[in-house]
Amino acid sequence: MTENIQETIVELLNQASLYGKDSQRVQHLRHVQELILRKDPSLLDNFLEEVLVFQTDRSAEVRKTITSFIEEACQHDPEVIVKVIDALRFLLYDDNVLVQKKLIVAMVSIYKSTLKWLSRSRLIDENVRSMWESMINMKNHIISLLKSDNDGLRTAAIKFIEMLALALSKRTADSIVPQSNDQDISVNVIQDDHRILKKAKLELEGKDVMEKLLEFTLSQHLSSVNLISAMGAIANIARQRPDYMSRVVQTFEALQVNLPPTLVDSQVSSVRKIIKLKLLSLLKHPASLAFHPQITTLLTDLGATQAEVLKHLPKVTSESKRKLTS
Amino acid sequence: MPLKFAVVCSSNQNRSMEAHNFMSKRGLIIKSFGSGAQVKLPGPSLDKPNIYTFDTPYEHMYKDLIAKDQNLYTQNGVLHMLDRNRRIKEKPERFQDCRDRFDIVFTVEERIFDQVLEDLDSREKKTNELVHIINIDVADNPEDATLGAFMLCDLGQRMEAVDDLDNEIDEILTEYESKIKRPILHAVSFY
Repeated sequence: MTENIQETIVELLNQASLYGKDSQRVQHLRHVQELILRKDPSLLDNFLEEVLVFQTDRSAEVRKTITSFIEEACQHDPEVIVKVIDALRFLLYDDNVLVQKKLIVAMVSIYKSTLKWLSRSRLIDENVRSMWESMINMKNHIISLLKSDNDGLRTAAIKFIEMLALALSKRTADSIVPQSNDQDISVNVIQDDHRILKKAKLELEGKDVMEKLLEFTLSQHLSSVNLISAMGAIANIARQRPDYMSRVVQTFEALQVNLPPTLVDSQVSSVRKIIKLKLLSLLKHPASLAFHPQITTLLTDLGATQAEVLKHLPKVTSESKRKLTS
Repeated sequence: MPLKFAVVCSSNQNRSMEAHNFMSKRGLIIKSFGSGAQVKLPGPSLDKPNIYTFDTPYEHMYKDLIAKDQNLYTQNGVLHMLDRNRRIKEKPERFQDCRDRFDIVFTVEERIFDQVLEDLDSREKKTNELVHIINIDVADNPEDATLGAFMLCDLGQRMEAVDDLDNEIDEILTEYESKIKRPILHAVSFY
């Protein structure tokens, strides 16, 4: 069976490296990805190098496919990162924006899985150190893309920063974490005496990127897509890290009265809809109780009905209800 | 890679199916959906619509309405519409029940735009891939559905024609908004 799969993979890789339609070559590589990572992951070691060759392919679609291959490989076995970090760095600086964007989105899961693996790993050799150095450089580069001229790159950077702010902060008892993120790393699990992960420094960095994101959300020359993405990110962070609830509510308050002047009327309508949606999601969170007066005032300004507000209130004790209505 | 479009109306009968038909004939990759709880078709009076579940085949509705009042449903165009629909796909689909990923989701009414946003927002996030949700109001009658399908297709083709949509979408939408003189709502969500 394995031999058959190996033969098929060799054949597919050969076909993918021949001149032909890019869409067909992408299909072959996706097939390889499926065979290796979903059928027989033990083959990953055998074929990794052959697959990575395609990182320099002339076709951007092929390079994007390789990026998703690497992402899935890292999800399957985080240790692979040591072997693929150079390819990732190469793809981050690709000439094609679409490849860069794909890579940044992939880095959202790759950074998390690497940090998680490192936090548990006892064997920190030179290769691992050097990989982590590269990872730090890539992370800094992605953060700097918040200032990119390209709207899509900025959006991807926002998603990466959202992940960083979550991973580099503590999960608390009142964190509401979506099921799909339940296994995600947070600084809680990093040992104080870890050889290369400095817990206090990482936490500080988490706070710093969150500040950057809040500041970005309030900047005056923001596209509507960036603004909507940033609002989604800070609301997600507040739900998962309620320590930020106060800052996030304040940011929504400041935003509502001071939207970027560059937005046209219909964009303002769309942005106001999203503010409403995000505030309703915060209202539902038990940790927002102290901020209900501000949130409900904002919601009323945004045209939310009393019934909508009531529907999104968390189940509270009669005592806290009295406090709210007084 | 070609963009993947979805178009969503209330019952996946008139506006979304007209757009589905029109856009697929012009080579766009498109799926159509409804966002309502049930499929509603006009009945003998305004307060007596014909109501079906989303898993009812168009063929069944077609035969059901012929049996109920062939004359009425021929005159009001519902049979003609169902006949078209059954040639496109088997049955209506509800957007909230579909887990396919799209690059662009078109909606044809603000209420539906809100429902789609809320649904995407409430899903478990997995890949962080971006999806654009775009609304242009289209009235729910055959003439407006035809006009709406033309506009959505035209807009879709403009999006398909650029190399880096995420960077150019603002410009495309602002320009198109002033061309059609209708407000366009635009939001994004992540899978």
